[in-house]
Amino acid sequence: MKSITLYSEKNTPIHLLQPMTKALYTMVAILSPLLFGSWRISLAVILLNVLALSAGQVLRKTAPLVGLSLVILISVVIIQGMFRQGNSESLFSLGVITFYREGMRYAVGIVLNVINIILSFSILILTTKPSDLVEAFVRAGLPPKLGYVLGSVFQIVPQMSESMKAITDAQRSRGMETEGKLLTRVKAFFPLISPVVMNSLITTKERAIALEVRGFSATGSRTFLSEPKRRSLDKIIKIALLVVLAGAVAWRMRLWLI
Amino acid sequence: MKKNGMWSLKINTASLVLIPAAVGINYLGKLFASALKLPLWLDSIGTMLSALLAGPVVGAVCGALNNIIYGFQDPISFVYAVTSAGIGVAAGVLGYKGWFGSLGRAIVSSLIIGAVAVVISTPLNVIFWGGQTGNIWGDAVYAAAAAGGMPMFISSLLDEVVVDFPDKLVTVLIVFGIYKALPKRLALLFSNSETVEKLD
Repeated sequence: MKSITLYSEKNTPIHLLQPMTKALYTMVAILSPLLFGSWRISLAVILLNVLALSAGQVLRKTAPLVGLSLVILISVVIIQGMFRQGNSESLFSLGVITFYREGMRYAVGIVLNVINIILSFSILILTTKPSDLVEAFVRAGLPPKLGYVLGSVFQIVPQMSESMKAITDAQRSRGMETEGKLLTRVKAFFPLISPVVMNSLITTKERAIALEVRGFSATGSRTFLSEPKRRSLDKIIKIALLVVLAGAVAWRMRLWLI
Repeated sequence: MKKNGMWSLKINTASLVLIPAAVGINYLGKLFASALKLPLWLDSIGTMLSALLAGPVVGAVCGALNNIIYGFQDPISFVYAVTSAGIGVAAGVLGYKGWFGSLGRAIVSSLIIGAVAVVISTPLNVIFWGGQTGNIWGDAVYAAAAAGGMPMFISSLLDEVVVDFPDKLVTVLIVFGIYKALPKRLALLFSNSETVEKLD
C-alpha cells in the first residue's frame, strides 16, 4: 500500500532529534525571515535548511516538493515583473515585453519566502515519522482523541486510494466512459465518488463501534507505549530557537516603536 | 431528549471517526477530478459532507486537518488550512439552518460558501503569492486586471472569485446529491443535536 507521507526511515542526526524540536525549528525558520523582513535573512535560513536537509540525507526528496510550486513561482515572477503597481524602472526587455525592477524585487522576495517555507516544512515531514509527531503532540497536551483522528488519517487515505482503483475498474466494466468531452467526464465523476462516500460512511459506523468496545470514550489519563527519549541536545536546540524567535520579535517591536 | 446547540464541542465517537473518512473523501475527490481531467479541484466534498452530517465544529476540524495532511505532500497547503476550516464552518451552519433543504437553497449556499472561501483566501494569496492563485484562468484574470491598473487586492479578489465560485458550486451540487440519497439511519449516526437518554 502506498503511503501518503514522504517520510523515509534513516539513522541520521536529524532523524534522531525529537519531533517537537523539529516542529519548533520549522516554526522559527518560517517566522523569523518574515519578522526581520530582510531577504538576507531569508537566504541565510534557506542555506541553513539545505544544510540540515543534506545532513538528514533527504535533500534530493525536496526536489519534487519545490517542483510542485515551480509553475506558480514562475508565473509570479512574470506577472509581478510586468504588471505590478508602481513599476517604473525598467530592468530588461524581451521584444515588446518589459520587466521592471520594482516588480522583480517583489517577486524575488515572494520566491525566497515560498522556497523557505517548503524547505523548512520538508525538514519536519521528511525526517519525522507521522505517528511519532502525533505522539509528541499528544504528550504536549493535544487531546488523545484528536491524536487518534490525526493518526488514523494516515492509515485510511491509502486504504481508500486502493478502493478507488477497484471502483474505477468496476464502473468501466459496466461501460462507463471516463474519456472524451468535458460533459462525459463530469458525468463520470458521480458514479465514481458516490460508492466511495457510501462505503466510507458505512465503515465509519463499524469503526466507531469497534473503538467504543475498546474503551475509546473512557475517562482518566492515558499512558504511552514507549518512553520519550530525553536528550540534552534537544533542549539546547529548543532554547536557542526560542532565543532567536524572541530576538526576531524584539527586532520587529523596535521597528514599530521608532 | 435535550437539544444540543450546533456549536457543541461534545463530539460523539461516530463523528470523530467521520473526520478521517471525510479527509479521505476529499483526497479521492481531488484524485478523481484530476484523473478525469476536470478543470476544478473538487477537494472539499468530504469537508462539506461531514459539516452537514455532524455540524460546523466537525466541519472546521475536518477542513483544517485535511490541509495539514495534504501539507505532508505539498507544504504550501498548510497555509490554506484556515480557508478549509472556514468552508467547513460555513457549510455546517448553512446545513443546520436548513439551507441544504432544496436545490435552489443549496445553490444559494454554494455562493455563500464560495464567498467565505474567497474572503479568507485572498489575504493569504496576497501575503504568500503576491495575489495569485496558481490557476491558469484565475491568473489570466489577475494579469488583465493588474495591467488595467487595478490595485493588487482587487485583482487578487477577482482571481480567487473566478477559481472558487465554480468549484464550490459544483462541489455543493455533488454534496447535495449525496446528502439527499443517504439512508436516514446512516445520517442520524453522526447527529450531535440530541443526547441519548440513559436508562441507568
